[in-house]
Amino acid sequence: MGRYILRRLLQMIPVVIGATFLIYAMNFALPGDPVAALGGERPLPEEQQQQIRDRYNLDDPLPIQYAKYMGNVVQGDLGESLAVRRGSDVSDIIADTWPVTARLAIVAFAFEIVIGIGAGVVAALRRGSFLDNLVRGSTILIVSIPIFVIGLVAQIVFGVRLGWFPVAGTGDGWISYIMPGFVLAAISLAYLSRITRNSLMENLRADYVRTATAKGMTRRRVVGRHALRNSLIPVVTFLAFDLGTLLSGTIVTEGIFNLNGIGGVAFDAIRQQDGTVVVGIVTMFVLIYVFANLAVDILYAALDPRIRYD
Amino acid sequence: MQSRLSGHLRWLLLVAALALVVAACAPEDDPEEDPDDDVEVDDDPDEDEPDEDEPDEEEDPDEEEDPDDEAEAPDGGEFSMYLCEPERLLSQESSEVCGSQVLDVLFTGLVAYDPETSEVVEGGMASSIESDDNVDWTIEIEEGWEFHNGEEVTADNYVDAWNWMADPENEMGNASFLATAGFEGYQEVADGEADEMAGVEVVDDYTIEVSLVEPFGPFELLIGYTGFHPLPDEFYDMEATEFEEAPIGNGPYMMDGEWERGQRIMLERFDDYGGEPANAQAVEMRIYDDVGTAYLDFEAGELDIHDGVPPESRTQALEEYGDRAFDNEVSSYDYLGFPTFVEPFDDPDLRKAISLAIDRESIIDVIFEGARTPATSALPPILPAHRDGACDYCEHDPERAQELYEGTDGIDGTLELYFNSGAGHEEWMESVSLQLEDTLGIDDIEFNSLEFAEYLELHDAQEVEGPYRLGWVTVYPSPQYSMELYLEDSPSNYAGYDDPEFNDLMAEANATEPEEADEIYQEAEDILLEDLPIAPLWYGLDTVVHSERVDNVIANTRTFIEVADVEVVE
Repeated sequence: MGRYILRRLLQMIPVVIGATFLIYAMNFALPGDPVAALGGERPLPEEQQQQIRDRYNLDDPLPIQYAKYMGNVVQGDLGESLAVRRGSDVSDIIADTWPVTARLAIVAFAFEIVIGIGAGVVAALRRGSFLDNLVRGSTILIVSIPIFVIGLVAQIVFGVRLGWFPVAGTGDGWISYIMPGFVLAAISLAYLSRITRNSLMENLRADYVRTATAKGMTRRRVVGRHALRNSLIPVVTFLAFDLGTLLSGTIVTEGIFNLNGIGGVAFDAIRQQDGTVVVGIVTMFVLIYVFANLAVDILYAALDPRIRYD
Repeated sequence: MQSRLSGHLRWLLLVAALALVVAACAPEDDPEEDPDDDVEVDDDPDEDEPDEDEPDEEEDPDEEEDPDDEAEAPDGGEFSMYLCEPERLLSQESSEVCGSQVLDVLFTGLVAYDPETSEVVEGGMASSIESDDNVDWTIEIEEGWEFHNGEEVTADNYVDAWNWMADPENEMGNASFLATAGFEGYQEVADGEADEMAGVEVVDDYTIEVSLVEPFGPFELLIGYTGFHPLPDEFYDMEATEFEEAPIGNGPYMMDGEWERGQRIMLERFDDYGGEPANAQAVEMRIYDDVGTAYLDFEAGELDIHDGVPPESRTQALEEYGDRAFDNEVSSYDYLGFPTFVEPFDDPDLRKAISLAIDRESIIDVIFEGARTPATSALPPILPAHRDGACDYCEHDPERAQELYEGTDGIDGTLELYFNSGAGHEEWMESVSLQLEDTLGIDDIEFNSLEFAEYLELHDAQEVEGPYRLGWVTVYPSPQYSMELYLEDSPSNYAGYDDPEFNDLMAEANATEPEEADEIYQEAEDILLEDLPIAPLWYGLDTVVHSERVDNVIANTRTFIEVADVEVVE
């Protein structure tokens, strides 16, 4: 197992390098001049513009620009922002915004695990009951509503009218993250409960469950130890990729709830063609996904003894 | 993982691992997190007590302050206000409203403006700004002003800041204003031939002499602009980006803690302020990404002043909050420009026909919920020189439009319309295209919406082939600034307009005493509106609401709330 993990970690290096180059090249290929847009309708003086182009190597051909950039990255310098926060280090920008996104992701993730899996298990065990129909109906409803509508309704009902939660911002610590976390989790939660339900129902019909029951095991032990554990494989797969999505920031939710997370910065950076920021943040997203992927594979082995990696 | 852990233990480990991650990212209990912690206010600002006897909400900027409001008074209350996220907090760089709103509170420049009439009033640091010929200017500054760190503000603080801004090495955007005014020696500094501007001289601690390359009458109006703020000596000992985290100014409020990006900027009254002391003891500027979210916060009682009520809530706000809501005229201005350098847009009649075909009123009513003022001139209503109806071709007159259009070659093939994407211009552009189709029968219309960086590059390369949307904000209240973008040599002249008579009149007005200059600017405006290289569309209107906790809320023409004037009523 240890050797397997090491091999996987080594495989990440070319992936990350390839990703940075691709993103860099794509940003380079975008039409438009980020420096021209800095002053808005009243451009910066020509001399200032040239100075900026020189300092960010914008006049160099792509390979040279990229080489200079990577040369700094190797030394731990992710470069400076050009437009989003001109003059600030990209590492500072990430350090400022990433914790907000991470907290939001954790709260959303907790909602998903507790409510999503819980509802799925209940629905599967009480097939056709009122509860089952409730879960199935409400999940269909949630999936079909756009997230910003859910967000706005939650804000108006729980924030403005009832005053239970702050409307926006992060001024109240963890409390601030409950509503946005729930809204962010809503859609995934709906999917997750359906995946759990279907997977568990399928496994409950499997031979080994009949065998276990016949051996006189308690229902709880049959479901918890055998059926549920085997049903979790698709659930874990979904969760891991969803965590990647959550951690890479969700622009819509962050926007609605005025959370200064990494999603919004990435969005602005792409719009303003702030190359160093885009590459820095997106590379981080790539890393998160690759790690999430690895975590899933390791979890498979933990969940299903038949899966071996060495 | 060869050893098979028991199931329960494994889950326990997983939960423990998750708990660790949670703990690692938990928000620290920073005292800064809680704005009520470090501000000494007697009354709880979260208390939303309806005030029975509301004073009459008349915005009267000339209202005399109560003399018994001593600077030593420990109290003055605290209020919160809306702020959009600043790009920078550096006066020499900031040209956008979000940053300037903060900087104009942290700093006091040489000149203050009347929030209503835009005229120069008491309150700036200059005691006099004189010139006999509009070329050589002498600025006297008041003695005894201090920066928030205790340094005295002297002539050097101004001159050094201007020279620092002029140096291209520092990449400061507001250096363009040194070029606008024509500071002698600016070009040499820009070209790297000199370290300091030859035309700026410190005579003594309180006197500055500035020589310009050409007469420039609006000098006094310009010199109060954000870009000309002084900098303390301490500024030069650190990186500009470091200074920005908590700028040290000479204004009525000072930073309390650092700029918490995306969240808030806390301000505290500066008790050694050289001018009229501010009313409130502390101000929380809350940063929002979205005006709608801020409005919900206002409705929830979390925000005292919101000066960016979204258009869709404007009608409701004005009805519901009565005299606690008002519209503020601002100088932002949208226009439809024409690429006068390509056919058929070199024909003024075609430009006029298009302008006359646009029904500004109905677009404003339907799309902006009334939150704009139709533009009937090139000079915004906030200027004393503004004349209502100066433009003969800015009304909606389909018949005249058709008549004019028939006399031209018309649009051959596709009419291309241009605007920058993601800024809410799609809807009204759609309306404009429908009106052009209805009135002029142009049915082959194509939209080109581009991100701003790409959009401006297209303009710079003069590759725009049809009417385009752009805007202009008059940042210092002079007709010269409102119309500088139509000058032949202006980098913002995307229409490619070049009229010698217009250029001459502008130069003549710049060389004239401000009192007589307005008339000449208006003559220049007449030429512009007769040629119509751009079709003025509308001026901005900001809707402001405030809670019952605050009073005397005044907004100026740059959309800023006059923070120091706000009174907390409790």
